[in-house]
Amino acid sequence: MPKRPLHGDRPRVGQLPIDEDVRRELQSHVRMCAAELEQQGWDPSEALREAERRFGNMAEFSRECSDITRSGDRAVVRAGRVDALRQDLRYGLRILKSAPAFAALAILTLALGIGANTAIFSVVYGVLLKPLPYEESERIVWVREHQPARGRSMPIAMANFLDWTEARSFEAIAAYGVWTQTVRGGEQPYRAVVAQVTEGFASVFRIAPLAGRLLDPRDYDAGAEPVVLIGEDLWTREYGRTPLEQIRLEMSGVSPRVVGVLPSGFDYPARAVIWTAAKDDNTSRSAHNYSVVARLADDVTVAQADAELDALQSRITADVRGEDDEFIAEAVLIQPLRESVSSGSGRSLGLLFGAAGLVLLIGCANLASTLLARGSVRSRELSVRQAMGAGRSRLVRQLLTESGLLAATGALVGLAVAQGLLVVLKSAEGVSIPRLEDVALDVRALAFTAVASILTGLVFGLLPALRLSRAEPGQVLRSEDRSQGSGGGGNIWGPLVAAEVALAFVLLAGSFLLMRSFQSVLGAEKGFRVEGVMTADIDLDPARYAEPGDQIRFYEELLTNLNGRGDVSAAGIVTSVPLSGGLPNGRLELDGDLSKHATAGYAVASGSYFDAMGIPLLQGRTFDERDRPESGHVAIVSRSFADQYWPGESVIGKQVTGGGMDEFWEERPFATVIGVVGDARYSELVRAPDPVAYFPFSQRPRRLGGAATIVARSNAESSAALSATLREALRSADPSIPPRFRSMEDRLRGSVSQRRFTMALIGAFALVALILAGIGIYGVVSFAVARRRREMGIRLALGGGKSQIRRMVQFQSMRSVLLGSLAGLAGALALGRLLESTLFGVEPTDPLTLGLAAVVLLAVAWGAATIPAIRSTRVDPMVAMRSD
Amino acid sequence: MDLIRGTLDVLLLKTVSWGPLHGYAISKSIRSQTAEVFKVEEGALYPALRRLEAKGLVTANWGTTDTGREAKFYTLTAQGRKRLKLEVDSWGRYVEAMSRVLHATRPGI
Repeated sequence: MPKRPLHGDRPRVGQLPIDEDVRRELQSHVRMCAAELEQQGWDPSEALREAERRFGNMAEFSRECSDITRSGDRAVVRAGRVDALRQDLRYGLRILKSAPAFAALAILTLALGIGANTAIFSVVYGVLLKPLPYEESERIVWVREHQPARGRSMPIAMANFLDWTEARSFEAIAAYGVWTQTVRGGEQPYRAVVAQVTEGFASVFRIAPLAGRLLDPRDYDAGAEPVVLIGEDLWTREYGRTPLEQIRLEMSGVSPRVVGVLPSGFDYPARAVIWTAAKDDNTSRSAHNYSVVARLADDVTVAQADAELDALQSRITADVRGEDDEFIAEAVLIQPLRESVSSGSGRSLGLLFGAAGLVLLIGCANLASTLLARGSVRSRELSVRQAMGAGRSRLVRQLLTESGLLAATGALVGLAVAQGLLVVLKSAEGVSIPRLEDVALDVRALAFTAVASILTGLVFGLLPALRLSRAEPGQVLRSEDRSQGSGGGGNIWGPLVAAEVALAFVLLAGSFLLMRSFQSVLGAEKGFRVEGVMTADIDLDPARYAEPGDQIRFYEELLTNLNGRGDVSAAGIVTSVPLSGGLPNGRLELDGDLSKHATAGYAVASGSYFDAMGIPLLQGRTFDERDRPESGHVAIVSRSFADQYWPGESVIGKQVTGGGMDEFWEERPFATVIGVVGDARYSELVRAPDPVAYFPFSQRPRRLGGAATIVARSNAESSAALSATLREALRSADPSIPPRFRSMEDRLRGSVSQRRFTMALIGAFALVALILAGIGIYGVVSFAVARRRREMGIRLALGGGKSQIRRMVQFQSMRSVLLGSLAGLAGALALGRLLESTLFGVEPTDPLTLGLAAVVLLAVAWGAATIPAIRSTRVDPMVAMRSD
Repeated sequence: MDLIRGTLDVLLLKTVSWGPLHGYAISKSIRSQTAEVFKVEEGALYPALRRLEAKGLVTANWGTTDTGREAKFYTLTAQGRKRLKLEVDSWGRYVEAMSRVLHATRPGI
């Protein structure tokens, strides 16, 4: 179709609306006809009428014409479009097939960027951002008592909680305590997480019972019959959903009645399966034994509730301040429950999110440089097509189709990568991140990263076309590719490569820092033994071991049995082992002086415990058969206890008094220190050890009470063999005890799982970043070399040494790499501050670590630049000079 | 006399084969060349022309007549020229066959 109108600047077909086009054409016919008739002498009005008569049914013909043109247009347009798209796709596929390395690089980049980011964001959302599964869960808050001066928060004393219930900021408020306990009465005894909750608990979470009823005010009366609620899953698993009145259960020596079932999915707190009424009339304002949750009243913010409760707390603690300051909190801390559930995971997930963002940026930069490099190689081909008459829009469409093809493939592979990564993340061994198991692939995250990457792909895929269509084809054809120097495209790739390198450097440095920190944590002085140590949590049936003497006898017989076996090196018992949540803190008066007191972990153990756990005896002796209930009470203190409270003094023979810790203090006012043992870190590996005081179980059986942990050590390699021995000994002692085994190695893994998780993921990201940066550099250098084949050939032909040429190519690409590394170093130094609180035993500016990161990165970059550089010198000079 | 179905297209193609013409000129040309034997409403040309355009046998462009009027000019495309040749050939064979039959002297049966 000729583009120019026949005469002048008249409207063309396709420019006029069809109906108007038809109307004008038919009218022009009638007017010409009428004009001719007038010339033949017709009267003007007669002429027009005659012309219309000859023409026939004007309305009918108009409609017919419009219809034909309209349907014809559509068919033509449709056929044209489909045809062009098919042609573009076919051509695009052919082009990609002819450059499989380029296609693979681009798709790999997209897939890694999209996949890794989607998986991580899904985890971040599922763990940190997703609302909890309770009605209007954003209004549920978590409350702690707070000592601003010490920067320390702590659980709640029941007496304080009772005063808080008058606060107006809350629609409902509840306190709860939670522990694990053996439940008997059914076919098999089992260990269950039991929560003691106050009256407002159900209102805070707005839960309704699945069967039966909730706890009501009567259940909290002093003499009320003990009742419990059980979870639906427990009901199904242990009781086969039998009617509630037929269920018999026995806990801590009482047999509560089951009055209701809470629906499956509700397991707050701590995956509780049994809920019972908390009855506690302890008036102490420093007995911090409870956690508190509350539901904010309508239109009350966290800050408002915090202000009201702060004022209240300050008032109710005013009287007691001064006596027991260390345990009196004059303020409170309120935070949304969601944050408290994932507390601790927050920081590491933030790091992961940052890392994912960096990888996405690197991916985009990589894709951009790859496409640009590719585009410059193709500009000649595009010029040829343009010269042969392809329109600019057609070329743009062609490039869009190609980029779209790449992007779609990359996104699909990315989806698979994301799914795979998510499975790996969720099943990672020893990971204990709350809510992780519920994480599902986040569609919005996928959409976001896919759109980001695809947009990058489209933009940079189009650049060559835009650059091209500005120039006249002939000009490009003449100038392009003929012995082009280091200018031109290099100017665009350089910064992109530098940016990639800088981002990868930051990730790599961060990852190395975390690895070194993790090594420091593992290598830190623990003060106890991990290898070959097995633990078993048990608790005794209070009905069978009613008297303290019964319990002592049970433990002694069990320990005698275990210690007599050849495959057990040592076995002991303790209230709680290291890395199981820390010891309860107690207040001990020293030397019978009320004004002189110590705050220390309070543990009850057997003498053999220290040997079994590998805690060294430094002075004096451990507990033995001399320490009977009726003999003088004794204690062992840890080294930091001795150093802190009796610095420079002889510790053996000192006296400690334990006030309200247990009833034995009433019979015997003090215990004599008989030994000093090494510092074992009970709560966290990376903190300075807390002072600990140990007392013999034979003198404090009730403190041990139902729950104790048996610790056994052997030199045997297999922990399974040791736990089998333990199980057998326990069964022969009392078959009604369900033990829960856990090796110390497992506990250690658990305690560092968050660190390991963060380290492994950041490490994976750093690896991905390194690979992407390598791919990017390789791609850019390859294309640069390809463009300069002719120059290479000339240099070789003129006698340039191969190594000289190789070095030239390498140094030119390494310039960007070095600049990027410097920028990355600056970035790593700046971002190191963010890592500081996560790191242990290594400074964020550690020169060795940063240097190592630089060495690794430069090595990879050098390698990525060297392969194409070596290939460049394999060029046959004659071939190269003849080629374009 | 009514036009035989399908022959209008050939007439139109033939008419525009001399060069770009607007609809009125086409209709005048057909009328004079056929000595007004065929009775065709002038308006009937236009749907036929548009059908030819949709098939890609002619193209249409607005232009100006010698007398300064605005009109739409039809031009034969390469494809249209090919089609015209086919039609002319087959018309020739058709006419030849028909006239041989119609003018024949009594055949020997």
